[in-house]
Amino acid sequence: MTVAMRQGVIVLEGTCPAGDAEELLQLLLSATANVDWRTCDAAHTSVIQVLMAAGCRMIGPPRGEVLASIVAPALSRGRE
Amino acid sequence: MDEFVEQFLIESRELVEQGTAALAALEQGSDAGREIDSLFRAIHTLKGAAGIVDFDAMGRALHAVEGRLSELRSSTQPPPPGFVSDCYVCLDQVTRWLDEMQLTGEPPKQAEAAADDIVGRFTGAAPALATPPDQGWLERLRAAHPAEAAASRSAFFYCPADDAFFRGEDPLALAATVPGVAGLDLSLGADTALEDFDPFSCAIRIAAFSSAPVPELQRLFHEVIDQIEIVALGDAPAGDGELSATARALLEAQILLLDSNEPGGRAGRIGSAGKIALNILQLAGIAAASAVAQALAGPEGSAREALIAAIKDVLHPPPQVDAPLTPATAMRSLRVDLDRIDALVNLTGELMVVKNAIGHVAGQAQALETKSVGLELRKQHDLLERLVGQLQRAVLEVRVLPLRHVFQRFPRLVREISATLGKPVRFVIEGEATEADATVVESLFEPLLHVLRNAIGHGVEDPAGRAAAGKAAVATVTLRASRRLENVVVEVEDDGRGIDIARVRDTALARRIVTTDALAAMSEQDIVALIFAPGFSTAAEVTGLSGRGVGMDAVKTAVERIGGGVAIDSRPGQGTVIRLNLPFSVMMTRVMTVEVAGQSFGLPLDAVVETALVPREAIVAVGAGRAVVLRDRTLPVLDLTVELGLPEPAAAADEVRIVVIAASDQLGAIAVDRVGGRMDVMLKPMEGLLQGMGGVAGTTLMGDGRVLVVLDVQELFI
Repeated sequence: MTVAMRQGVIVLEGTCPAGDAEELLQLLLSATANVDWRTCDAAHTSVIQVLMAAGCRMIGPPRGEVLASIVAPALSRGRE
Repeated sequence: MDEFVEQFLIESRELVEQGTAALAALEQGSDAGREIDSLFRAIHTLKGAAGIVDFDAMGRALHAVEGRLSELRSSTQPPPPGFVSDCYVCLDQVTRWLDEMQLTGEPPKQAEAAADDIVGRFTGAAPALATPPDQGWLERLRAAHPAEAAASRSAFFYCPADDAFFRGEDPLALAATVPGVAGLDLSLGADTALEDFDPFSCAIRIAAFSSAPVPELQRLFHEVIDQIEIVALGDAPAGDGELSATARALLEAQILLLDSNEPGGRAGRIGSAGKIALNILQLAGIAAASAVAQALAGPEGSAREALIAAIKDVLHPPPQVDAPLTPATAMRSLRVDLDRIDALVNLTGELMVVKNAIGHVAGQAQALETKSVGLELRKQHDLLERLVGQLQRAVLEVRVLPLRHVFQRFPRLVREISATLGKPVRFVIEGEATEADATVVESLFEPLLHVLRNAIGHGVEDPAGRAAAGKAAVATVTLRASRRLENVVVEVEDDGRGIDIARVRDTALARRIVTTDALAAMSEQDIVALIFAPGFSTAAEVTGLSGRGVGMDAVKTAVERIGGGVAIDSRPGQGTVIRLNLPFSVMMTRVMTVEVAGQSFGLPLDAVVETALVPREAIVAVGAGRAVVLRDRTLPVLDLTVELGLPEPAAAADEVRIVVIAASDQLGAIAVDRVGGRMDVMLKPMEGLLQGMGGVAGTTLMGDGRVLVVLDVQELFI
């Protein structure tokens, strides 16, 4: 499982495929939770899109290089 | 005609041709940017030319087209549908105006309405470019990332389609592959409450800078090019990957620092010099930055040398070996009036005559006692023959044009025909670079248009018919040219229903083209060939396109007029190929001379099959004509003395010499008194009062100064 709720924190792990978006959205709707993506290597656009829409707090930095260098800054800028 | 107008007409026609070629390339999916540039230049120059001859209406119309093209050039959007055909309409109108000016010598008076129409097409109803709805993205991006903006060559705004995820796309992953991507910003298309958020619909918008030039981004995003806007950033320092003077000075200083032999702090020097070099190069967007980075990351001992080498490479790049040499090869052509070429052609023809005369004199001298003079003369004659032959070929080459000249007019016409008839057609052109004499090329338009109309009108089934036959919905019609020895072969092939032999048979009988008996004896191939017979047309309904009473016989006549032939190859249910066999040049003909009643005549050698001696009694009367049986074939016999109204010879020999001729796919024989030699002649068509004379292909001068009349055997046997 690449998306999971662990002790009140949503954890993204490894490579999150497009299908994870639906799962992630359900988790985000069910509880106000932070998202920990420190062990996430890559995530499909659909997953990133849900993170943007939710505006949740991210616990990072993510492990994946693209995520860390390009996506994470864009995501945090989007909050400003 | 005014000299300006004359020049204007010549140039404008070339520009229209350039524009048409660009449109054709655009349709075939060539690099849109390049073709639109070419079209833009043609239209722009045409507009300027119209101004010189005070043709305001044309200038106004072209100004509208130019404006639209200029919008397209600065955009990354592909041309909207209908744009190409609007451009064709405009170029057609320009051609019509040019034709009118050719006649009158001045700009047409009634051009305003047509100009209004073109202006309307390109300005009025034309929808605005389908740009992404978000217009201010670039300004926002620049404001958010001024440093990245300054160091980048391009920027893009990517609006993936809603169903991008379903199509397996990962827009963000694609954007991450952009070279030197910087300042990437993400946004969502619409603000939606999380409860209503659809995770399956792609709503993300991606904006970013890139160090890559626009064409590279276009390549990268080619599959989603309709969803992305890419703009070039002007005057970016990274523009051409070149170093400013300051950057150079800084890099030189780093080399000095690295070269210094001061003990101590060596590792620190390498580290700091490397960092500075790396920063300078990255800012300038120079690819060598990675080499410097590698040198820094390398083992301690070699880092210094590697770093110096990498920096020196940037400062003094090795010279580029394969720099393009365009100026030397550009446009080695010269515009020459066709009349002047024809004068040259005629002159070589005269030379040919003189050469033949020398051959004649040589023959006479050899027969006399001055044999040695004769031999010498013969030797010189052979030499002259070779040289004149070369000269003639060279001059004829000048008149040679690629078939593209006429082929490029067809894609638009085929599109119109297919739209009118509601039969979708994919039109393929092959071998358009094949060359032929200008006369041949120019006389091909009408016959080919007719054949193409027939292929789409009769050959290709309607969509329902194709579906029933299990064929692809879009039919393929191919126009193909190739060179075969001395001939140029042009084929029109369709993948339609083929020729319905039963229907051809019925129609031929109904129109009394053949008798039932004759039909019974015909092979399927012969029956198919009946569609070329005069008065044959199988069109069940008369449309504006095909079946207007002028059938394939018009094609056959036109092709035979330039010395060619037509053949047909039909496979029922699979399609039809119409093949035009054309001479490479109409100017040169090989003839065989024959003598009848003391006069010489020429017969085109390519029509001659053989010569034979037959006993006079073997020629028997059949109906109104005469015939001979030669090797079990009955051949109609023409007596030239009778046909040409020459005096009957006093005494008839026991044997008759006949020349067997292939005319219109059938054999015939011509009775002659004597068979002469063969020669290459420059055939002059009949002119003036003699123009309409039947049975004569043209004349040429013989070695002894007599005029040789060359007969048109096709006409003699009709």
